[in-house]
Amino acid sequence: MSTRQPLLEVEDLTTTFSTDNGELTAVDGVDFSVDEGETVCIVGESGSGKTVATESVTRIVKEPPGRVRGSVRFKSRDLLEMSEPELREIRGYEIAHIFQNPQEAMNHCYTVGWQIVEALQIHRDVSDEEARAKAIDLMDKVGIANASSRFDDYPHEFSGGQKQRVMIAMALVGDPDLLIADEPTTALDVTVQAQILRLLDDLQEEFDMGILFVTHDLGVVAEIADRIVVMYAGKVMERGDVLDIFERPAHPYTQQLLNCLPEIGGKKGGIPGTLPDPLDPPDGCRFAPRCEHAVDACVTGDQPEEIEVNPGQRASCVHYRPGRDDSVVRDGIPDSTADGEEVSSADD
Amino acid sequence: MTEEPLLSVRDLKKHYPIRKGLLNRQVGAARAVDGISFDIAPGETLGLVGESGCGKSTAATSIVRLEEPTGGEVIFNGGGRSGATRNADGTHPNDVTRFDDRELKAFRRDAQMIFQDPSSSFDPRMSVGGAVAEMLQIHGMSDRHRRRAIVEDLLERVGLSPEDYDRYPHEFSGGQKQRIALARALVLNPELIVADEPVSALDVSIQAEILDLIADLQSEFDLSLLFISHDMSVIREICDRVAVMYLGEIVEIGPTDRVFADPQHPYTEALLSAIPTPDPRSTAEGIELTGTVPSPTNPPSGCRFHTRCHRVIQPDDVDLDQSSWRGLLNLRDALAADSVDVDQIRENFRTGTDTGATPDAVKGQIRREFDLEETISSDEMESLLDAALDEALGDDLDAAAATLSERVTTPCEERVPQRTSHEPGHESACHLHERDRSAPPNPADD
Amino acid sequence: MATKKPEQFDRVDWSELSESRRFDLSINSIGMLVATLPLALLWLYDYQFVGEREATFQAIGLSRNLDPLDYFFVFTLFLFFFYLILPLYQNPRMTRYYWKEFRRNRPAVVSLGWLGIVFVGGLIGPLLISAPEQSILTGHQPPVFLSIDEANVANCVGEVVNGRCQGTWQHPLGTTRGGKDVFAGIVYGMTISMQIAFITTTIVAAIGITFGTVSAYAGGWVDEVMMRFVDIILSFPTFLMFLLILYIYGAGLGMFILVFSAFAWGGTARYVRSKSLSVSEEEFIKATRISGASTYRVVRKHVVPNVASSIITQLTLLIPGFLLAEAQLAFLGIGDSAVPSWGQLISAGRSDLAFAPWIVLSPGIVLFLTILAFNFIGDALLDALNPEAEAESA
Ligand code: SF4
Ligand code: SF4
Repeated sequence: MSTRQPLLEVEDLTTTFSTDNGELTAVDGVDFSVDEGETVCIVGESGSGKTVATESVTRIVKEPPGRVRGSVRFKSRDLLEMSEPELREIRGYEIAHIFQNPQEAMNHCYTVGWQIVEALQIHRDVSDEEARAKAIDLMDKVGIANASSRFDDYPHEFSGGQKQRVMIAMALVGDPDLLIADEPTTALDVTVQAQILRLLDDLQEEFDMGILFVTHDLGVVAEIADRIVVMYAGKVMERGDVLDIFERPAHPYTQQLLNCLPEIGGKKGGIPGTLPDPLDPPDGCRFAPRCEHAVDACVTGDQPEEIEVNPGQRASCVHYRPGRDDSVVRDGIPDSTADGEEVSSADD
Repeated sequence: MTEEPLLSVRDLKKHYPIRKGLLNRQVGAARAVDGISFDIAPGETLGLVGESGCGKSTAATSIVRLEEPTGGEVIFNGGGRSGATRNADGTHPNDVTRFDDRELKAFRRDAQMIFQDPSSSFDPRMSVGGAVAEMLQIHGMSDRHRRRAIVEDLLERVGLSPEDYDRYPHEFSGGQKQRIALARALVLNPELIVADEPVSALDVSIQAEILDLIADLQSEFDLSLLFISHDMSVIREICDRVAVMYLGEIVEIGPTDRVFADPQHPYTEALLSAIPTPDPRSTAEGIELTGTVPSPTNPPSGCRFHTRCHRVIQPDDVDLDQSSWRGLLNLRDALAADSVDVDQIRENFRTGTDTGATPDAVKGQIRREFDLEETISSDEMESLLDAALDEALGDDLDAAAATLSERVTTPCEERVPQRTSHEPGHESACHLHERDRSAPPNPADD
Repeated sequence: MATKKPEQFDRVDWSELSESRRFDLSINSIGMLVATLPLALLWLYDYQFVGEREATFQAIGLSRNLDPLDYFFVFTLFLFFFYLILPLYQNPRMTRYYWKEFRRNRPAVVSLGWLGIVFVGGLIGPLLISAPEQSILTGHQPPVFLSIDEANVANCVGEVVNGRCQGTWQHPLGTTRGGKDVFAGIVYGMTISMQIAFITTTIVAAIGITFGTVSAYAGGWVDEVMMRFVDIILSFPTFLMFLLILYIYGAGLGMFILVFSAFAWGGTARYVRSKSLSVSEEEFIKATRISGASTYRVVRKHVVPNVASSIITQLTLLIPGFLLAEAQLAFLGIGDSAVPSWGQLISAGRSDLAFAPWIVLSPGIVLFLTILAFNFIGDALLDALNPEAEAESA
């Protein structure tokens, strides 16, 4: 795993939107990276900025009113410094996107096959026959039964799950290195969701793609993620390996989020309070108004810096600052065992 | 006879006519809900779970008569109606589907509903307090101060403040709106609340809060709840019993812990195994359902799940591995539906590979598309399949389908399974269990 | 009994209440009734006891006469007040919100100010300023600060400097060929424009909303027939129809308003129908129905208010059309020349455009600004009256 090259490195990504009520900072100085062939999950609830963060990577956020700053290095090129035509070369080709709602991402006037062919021909100079064969091949790969006979069907003749499969097929036309999947299974039924997740897993292996997966569903995260970035109100709260985060969550927000799951915490009552106003975020830790461990140091200055709590796992919480007693927050970790911390991060 | 249930649904049906042509002739019906039955005891929560399109929401709206059911009975014994017996003509005096306007209006006080989408469940032009108070006004409370006092008290009970009375829906977050929706459902002091996906649109951290509130209010006011959701983990949180729906029918019903621990119906089993568990170490491979949900306009014969069931039964004298059997059935159905495009497959071979479209290559491709191995384990079936594929290659799909249909048949498509009981109150409708009675189970999974 | 706290929802004895079925009237409706009653009585008095040529208020020494159009105008003003202005006052939170949204659109705020001037001017102007009168001798007076060649005026009211007649404050915007004061003409024209705006809107809204909601809620063949009728209305050549009536019966402003609004509601009805259909799918409608509310109540309390706020925009954008149509007819000389509308004023000045352009320009600019204002406001309302859209992004 350590030999993997970083594919995407995002640093200090800040995306703002100018609104009638002032400047709204949706993503506020966020870092993350995706290695080749790895799946990174950005987890967060609505309003956490997770979607905007991924859309900022390829700058498909609407600009204006949006504005993206920071640096996004993809295979050591900075995407934010590229011109629109250069970016277009990369979008849908080296970096592909799939979205929550396949319905909206498809054109209902054209056959499904034609849309895949078009996506192919935008980036590659191939003949119609070749494109058709390739499209059918892709439809087959994403698990559409009788791909050949469904080539000429229209989107409305496909179910939601099949449409998402077609979207994935379209994303694969350029043999992408990175697939950005924004809640691709949220609109689907569980049985279909399971199919799509399995499909993504298989395809990742076959195409050796990095996947940046955005979701609010911790069950899905556990299923597919290698590493996790937990976001809240535009900031990163915690990051680390999937096992670490699930077994030794260090940040109070992550802990409470996991506790909301009946399978894990069974804690009653959820997380009281609401998301801070994105137009006027509070000083200090964004989570402070809802945090049960908040102390005075939490409400001044900026979001606390990220501190390494375990190898490869970092949390943005004042309790981990050197010289502080972090047992308050470590105690809140479900299932944490004394020797659990000695286990080296799962190397295979 | 034990305690009388608060709500007793018997063979409820809701069909939507499909009309076509100039004269609007009815050419068919979408059988959204097709004969469901269950009881809810006072103070109990019954979960109704299923995937989209299974008819669970239609069931809810038909039970409270937001839509007129096509058939069946909904017997509601709350609101001082208890102890009634059937009339001489077999009808029940408490049958909601037969209530006249006056009875219906009284029933409205006893059974209320909560909806899914907090953003559309309030009139954007009415203060939320006004929206809750309107319920009282409709039922004749003309004293506006009294209305206000009641609503303010209630807003406090659902975790808001009385000052919120005058605020408008857009000033609240989704979770808060769902609290107000609870207040609105409660204000007439009902005995039954039908909650249609009340937390699906909310974030997890908010979901837990609302579920908690629902549970608290339920025990405080002794409410019965019909809780509709697609989310099994939510159902597990809050429901005493759960009914699983597939394509307009209830396939399994039972106590929640039993259904989750020991699902009887193959569909329930698949549904449960599909839930992603928040445990990164779990490697259990779920059961993958193939195909898509059939249209409720023309549901499959026999057991409606037979087109996708991973346990679909083989004839007594056939013993294939289960996945090949599933593949054979799928191929048969595809051939019959004329949806195997042999020409296209040939064409692909011509352009896509250099081997060319030899008959064997095409047959191999068809096998792959239907998850059938190169040779399947039963000689008889293998020769039948080969014969059928030859016919298909000769562009005679009907003949191929006919060939397969000779032997590839399942009892599941012939007879409608009856509900069988596994333990008190835990029932499912599947032929496997009917057979279990006589023969030991045959888990022929690979 | 008395010890019970009735303020809790689970302590309400419904058997006591549910049978009492009183007819609840809102304050707004009571106000409307109280206001309309005297108006109706006055009309009755006017119609029964006052002679054809006598002024309505002659008995108390005023020379003001009210014709049917005036009565209708006042009636629409009452409607406007009790069902639009008063509710805004009654729901201050919502009003503040609307205003906050509306205020963002600067041109619309300016437009609102302008329409306010036109409205107030139209209402009280005629009470303060006497109607422009014919006086051939003082024809073609220039506006103040401007001048005109002495040869063009019979009698210069102001000074004559270097052979040019100077304008005076007596006629701030000059006079027409017939010596009518242009400023007074414009003020009187405001009344006419406001009458057109209010009365047409009321007629179009009343027919459109009724037709649309009934059609949406009736469904089936009733819906079909009603919508085909709307098609007919929409394809009707209103202008030709008006000309026909004009030639046969002659036509005043009242007839203009009647004919044009009677054929203008088609679009509104269609819009209301589709909007009602979509509103009635919303969950809050289901929630109201599940509480036992009658269809009438659902439509009246929830569907119409939600539909209305979006058709207000549509209606606002309809008004300029009427104002323009009236002006065009007047300009072509087909209108009733006794009506002191802006269009008539423009038409009166068209032959003198070469040397007295103010006669055309002043009312022309006023008309232009008014139409522009309605358009700006329509746009701003579209954004402001849509709280849901805003709430999503917040
Ligand atoms: S920094 Fe403070 S408020 Fe933020 S998570 Fe840590 S303890 Fe809670
Ligand atoms: S009856 Fe047959 S098809 Fe239906 S669930 Fe049981 S095994 Fe599956």
